[in-house]
Amino acid sequence: MEERQYDLIFICRPDTPEADIDKVIATLEHTVTEKGARIEKTDKWGRKRMAYRVSRLREGFYVYMDVRSSNGEVVKELERRLKVADAVIKYMTIRVDEELKRQEKLKKHRERRAARRPRKTVPAAAPAPGSEQTAAAI
Amino acid sequence: MADEHVPQQQQQPGGAPSSPAPSGGHSGGYSGHSSGPGGPRPQGARPGPGGPPKRGKRNFVRKKKVCRFCVDKVDYIDYKKAEVLTSFIQERGKILPRRMTGTCARHQRWLTVAIKRAQNIALLPFAAEL
Repeated sequence: MEERQYDLIFICRPDTPEADIDKVIATLEHTVTEKGARIEKTDKWGRKRMAYRVSRLREGFYVYMDVRSSNGEVVKELERRLKVADAVIKYMTIRVDEELKRQEKLKKHRERRAARRPRKTVPAAAPAPGSEQTAAAI
Repeated sequence: MADEHVPQQQQQPGGAPSSPAPSGGHSGGYSGHSSGPGGPRPQGARPGPGGPPKRGKRNFVRKKKVCRFCVDKVDYIDYKKAEVLTSFIQERGKILPRRMTGTCARHQRWLTVAIKRAQNIALLPFAAEL
């Protein structure tokens, strides 16, 4: 099966020491590698104000992870671990590879069109400003 | 982005401003609302650059709204960039309709998904607290 890409975001209590957060990250990394997947990127966004209160807290420590896996079981295990971790108050996993693939496709499509355009628009460019002007005059 | 003064007779009783309504994106709520859901506008039906609003007729200065994502050539609306998304929600957290923001159908579809994702991870509010 082809590889899938997931965005994993979790929020820790703001008063957790940095070491505990690192511990959570380490356990997640361990699980991921154990299951034959990998973490492409880990990004600590730091303390942020949440848009609404979660567990009566207004702030949270956001951690973002980019997980690549060809096995859905990994996500299941990760979410279980996050649920168990005391410091974590909220988490979310989203599969993003299909949307990114779509983005790639659109980008390629646009580039191809842009490459083709120059000779096409040169004759068409002449009447275009004229029509614009008339439109503005109206 | 030519400012066009589109005179339009409105059937709506009362409430419509007699002076040119502000047409600043989504914040100028009323002018956007009055355009109605889609539909061909009677553009160019009456030539002439607006001028002062005549009595008895409700004239609007309407700016043609363009999808901001199309202008920037966005292929993927990232739910993680909450600052971008905040300009497409109301103060209380509702998603603004297309007719207010001028977003095209395709981008509005992506935008909705992105906003909902951001809400789930507390980047955006479901409903703003008082």
